[in-house]
Amino acid sequence: MEIKTKVTFKLKHLKRDSNQWSFYVLAIGLFISIPALSILFYLFNGVGEMWQHITTYFLFDYIKNSVILILGTSLLSFSIGTSAAWIVCKYDFRFRSLIESLLFLPLAIPSYIMAYTYVGLLGYQGLLIGWLQAIGLPLQKIEMMNIQGLIWVLSFSLFPYVYVGAKTMFISFPKVIQETATLLGASSKRYFFRIALPLASPAIIGGLFLVIMEVLNDYGAAKYFGINTFTTGIFRTWTALEDIQSAIYLSAILVALVFLLNILVKWYRRKKSYALRITTLEPEQRKRVLLSGKKKYVYYSILLIPVLFGFLLPVIQLLYWGYLTFHTMFNTALLTIALQSLFVGGVAAFFIVTMSIMLVYFSRWNNLKYLNFFKRIATIGYVIPGAIIGIGIIRSSQSIINFFSDYIGLNIGFLFYGSSVVLIYAYIFRFLAVSYNPIEANSLKFGKYLSESSYLLASSKIKTLFKIELPLLRYTLVSSFLLVFVDILKELPLTLILKPYTLQTLATKSYEYADDERVAEAAIPALLLIAIISCVMIFVSYWNKINEKSPKEANRFE
Amino acid sequence: MRLLLLLFLGLFISCTAEKSSKETAKDNQSITLYTHRHYDTDKAIIKKFEDKTGITVNVVKASADELMQKLESEGDQSPADLLMTVDAGRLVRAKEMGLLQSVESDFLTTTIPEQFRDSDNNWFSLTKRARVIVYDKNRVNADELSTYEALTDAKWNNKILIRSSGNIYNQSLMASIIANKGKENAKIWAEGMVNNFARTPKGNDRDQVKAILAGEGDLAIVNTYYIGNMINSEDPNEVEAGNAISIFFPNQAGEGTHINVSGIGITKYAPNKKAAIEFVEFLASKEIQELFAEANYEYPVNPNAESSELLKSWGSFKEDSLALAKLGELNKEAVITFDEVGWK
Repeated sequence: MEIKTKVTFKLKHLKRDSNQWSFYVLAIGLFISIPALSILFYLFNGVGEMWQHITTYFLFDYIKNSVILILGTSLLSFSIGTSAAWIVCKYDFRFRSLIESLLFLPLAIPSYIMAYTYVGLLGYQGLLIGWLQAIGLPLQKIEMMNIQGLIWVLSFSLFPYVYVGAKTMFISFPKVIQETATLLGASSKRYFFRIALPLASPAIIGGLFLVIMEVLNDYGAAKYFGINTFTTGIFRTWTALEDIQSAIYLSAILVALVFLLNILVKWYRRKKSYALRITTLEPEQRKRVLLSGKKKYVYYSILLIPVLFGFLLPVIQLLYWGYLTFHTMFNTALLTIALQSLFVGGVAAFFIVTMSIMLVYFSRWNNLKYLNFFKRIATIGYVIPGAIIGIGIIRSSQSIINFFSDYIGLNIGFLFYGSSVVLIYAYIFRFLAVSYNPIEANSLKFGKYLSESSYLLASSKIKTLFKIELPLLRYTLVSSFLLVFVDILKELPLTLILKPYTLQTLATKSYEYADDERVAEAAIPALLLIAIISCVMIFVSYWNKINEKSPKEANRFE
Repeated sequence: MRLLLLLFLGLFISCTAEKSSKETAKDNQSITLYTHRHYDTDKAIIKKFEDKTGITVNVVKASADELMQKLESEGDQSPADLLMTVDAGRLVRAKEMGLLQSVESDFLTTTIPEQFRDSDNNWFSLTKRARVIVYDKNRVNADELSTYEALTDAKWNNKILIRSSGNIYNQSLMASIIANKGKENAKIWAEGMVNNFARTPKGNDRDQVKAILAGEGDLAIVNTYYIGNMINSEDPNEVEAGNAISIFFPNQAGEGTHINVSGIGITKYAPNKKAAIEFVEFLASKEIQELFAEANYEYPVNPNAESSELLKSWGSFKEDSLALAKLGELNKEAVITFDEVGWK
């Protein structure tokens, strides 16, 4: 009863409370939720005929594997990420800034490529095995194609998410905390485990959340290693059991689980919100302790392990394969493909960032707060398996085309099939979260005072946005643009199915060869992709360093 | 604000719009090919076709399942003229889903043997691959080998290598065994195979051959096409592994060795059917069929075409004459059986 009156109360004031921004939020929200809604629509048809078979024979096994993978990968990437972040934040040593950048780079290698390189490195007659034999180790091979191997590969390719989260927190700790701890007699070990780690935990958990998303979305590496996961199960249901309805159902379960996880993360972050309050204190002086003695070698090896296993060794294997196939694979056509990838990635990333800004600010200016649940939907695309999004998008765009041709008599099919419009739209749906979250988080940091002063001086909201808010956000905008850009360059399932035939990307090119079991031929496009992404990542890490000044700037304004 | 939105929309379209194929298909000569094959050979062959006829071929490459899903959703708006897959099962399924149409071409019906085309001429095979037993030359004597079914013998315990059941080639093999021996026997066979596995199924066909060289197992079931590619690979490890094994064609005294095909069909709503038929005929021609054999190590379906030196060196063999349509019809049954016996 109470709920009902509440709803009517809200509706009564619909006219009073709504403004133009409500309309825009609604429009953007609906625009972005089309694929999610169309998938939701299919859920009403119930499960497919193979559901019984699925639950009897493999669902449990697949869930078990996914859980083991998530736990293993989280634990390993947590250990690698936080220890590396702690060392680079607290200590000074030679090559520190080089190592700091190298620690980002594993993200540049798509995980399925990394899986192939590990089999190349550690398989029978593998490159690394050869070296180990040369120094006298009696090894034939190290088996990578099992669940431990998959945990290893995924952890070393995904730990940078944790590393970045932890590092940002460690660096912004107020000086006074460590001083107090030391005064009270805490050892640096105790300080790390009892104070630093709990304080940084919201950011680290945010990083782990991304790692888990990627693990759940991985298809290529798990399939190659013969590990059945929830995602490979979705594909098996769809393609081999020919039951798309059940496949969509399985995806829905996956999405529901991720939502639950997301709520848990949010709840945890709110509970630990003291971590946010401390950022208003004076940040720690970034004077690092110089490393020396035995400790130095221990710390160097802790840092070198992730760099070596997450980046250098896979790249060496790819370089070897690239050397073998260079004469057939490297040509000007490949450079054209590289340029096409860059162009599409750039255009899509621009739209994604613009869309994020609009969604962040329009929903803030809008008075109908309940419309803001679209923000949730906007970030859902990050967790639905790519191929399922593809189905949702193709089906919904087909309905739109049919509507136009049946009722308006306009053939707009060419817009959808002959161009990259649909592909770019799919990227927006998929990657909006990547730029939306940091832009929203950072825009909150600046507080309302500046914008409100601007409104008092009779500037419009849009003018204030362009003159004050966006310039303040410039670092965040550039870095989130680049992160989205990197994700798009690596994206595979959506690109394969939605791209117009004139378009090829480095990721699809490399995949074509890998799919045909010609891994050596896949190396050259993969290396080109990794080189481009590495340049972008190094630029981002450099850009973030400049950005380290900006929290101070923000404080001054408050 | 409105200006901003307009600008946004304008930019969105101008950045991305290219000329539609459905439109261009009608103005000038071009066809659109949806294909699961992404071999360099195909690229060269398409180029030859374009040079010869002046018809442009637009290529969309993705997995057959995704392409079929795409075709189904696009319906009569689809720009696609042709669907090309690497197994018969998907073509049968495409026909069942009503994605293909019947084609009348005397050349195709006389050139391609009846077994290798659809009964209603909805699709045509182009190349064949055999799923054979490969074995280590030193550890296994060819006399010990006979049939797929004999591999369940206790003497092969812990010796057999094969990839996972998610792979279409295994599914087709299983479907053929269900068709030839009945469902019960097929299930018994699969159980016996699982018992004799040297390791949990993993990796691709080439990895199975490499595992023989590494001594993880003595024999493997793989596709001939990959052996040809390994022997001619740029990677010395693959060449070594490819040369370390011998090929055995099983079931020669019975139904023959299981073969699968790569094939093509013309889509129901093909905007340019005539040119599409021309393309299929071109692919079935003697010259192109020999190119498939020479450069991509696939057996030609055109009986007039010579197979390559390498393929000839493996010897001729009796092929299973099972109607290929069966592979598609029994595909799902095959997967269900795999799940029931725990073939990962």
